[in-house]
Amino acid sequence: MDLDPDTQAMLKVAAGDKQAFAWLFDRHHASVARFAFRFVGDPARAEELTQDIFVKLYRHAGTYKPTAKFKTFLFRVATNHCLNEMRRGEYRVARLATEAPEADDAGGVEMPGPEGDRPDQALSGRELEAAVGVALGDLSERERAAFTMCRFEGMAYRDIAEALEASEAAVKSLIHRATLAVARRLEALQAGTVPARSRA
Amino acid sequence: MSCAYEEDLTAYVDGELPPPHRARVEAHLGTCADCQQTERLLRVTVARMAELPAFTPSPSSRREVLARLDALPPTWRERLASLLRPGVLVPSLGVAAAAVLAVLVVGRGGGETAALDEWDPGALEVATNLELVEDYEVLGLDSSDDLEVVENLHELGMP
Repeated sequence: MDLDPDTQAMLKVAAGDKQAFAWLFDRHHASVARFAFRFVGDPARAEELTQDIFVKLYRHAGTYKPTAKFKTFLFRVATNHCLNEMRRGEYRVARLATEAPEADDAGGVEMPGPEGDRPDQALSGRELEAAVGVALGDLSERERAAFTMCRFEGMAYRDIAEALEASEAAVKSLIHRATLAVARRLEALQAGTVPARSRA
Repeated sequence: MSCAYEEDLTAYVDGELPPPHRARVEAHLGTCADCQQTERLLRVTVARMAELPAFTPSPSSRREVLARLDALPPTWRERLASLLRPGVLVPSLGVAAAAVLAVLVVGRGGGETAALDEWDPGALEVATNLELVEDYEVLGLDSSDDLEVVENLHELGMP
């Protein structure tokens, strides 16, 4: 069987090879950190979760079966860990909106700049970040996980379904609800009907 | 909006619908203004996600994770690997062989050879080695260098 490099490395990790682990860490820790950050909305917690996830990956490397794509396996570990931590109550979704600057106008929407003739460009990067953070915080944990894997990691619905141990139909529904919620949030901000820092 | 096709629109935008389903949604979009509007909104939203600043983890993360791995107690696999090193295994086999020989000699005198036949030599070997490992653990030694020092204490003139 032709195994991809990630799978080969993971099998070495299962045999206790720490160099192979370091190689996998270098390749994937940014993805996991992004996922954790979008999941909890707090950089320090995301760092901590990312480290926990990789330590867990090392400790449970023996359970990895090369039939599963490595990234899917990794995100299953990551999702389960994040969900468990949330349920334990150790982490609460931090709203990125709290880090956003006060907007000058009452609606919290930055005035259109040179590209103001394009309504979709009217939000600044920080306002966009804040709005997405608030919208993600209002989603269910599984919606947030599915949305994050889809939008920020570019994972296919099939792989997300495997990572979440759900059907593809369920994932399709989770991603739709999450994307629509984020879209409505941005739309409302755009229209000036909701401030960036408020809850939905 | 309560259009039956609404739930398909995100998967349509993501290119996740199978061709026949996709064709049905496309045909519907040609006739439904609400779905056209939602589809546009979804497309813009998906495109805007790429504009979000990337989260960059701290550069110290790698070092911290590797340090945590080093601090983990050894796994069974690692213990077994250290047991199977010739420096540990050969003396242990000598002890095991002596034990077997002693039992054989005693067995001849005592007539208990039936029990000996049930012994698994592999299990005996592991049991002997595990005892050694436990001794090392009591001393708080866990690296292979420490084990070698203990094995060669006699050369250092220690008791």
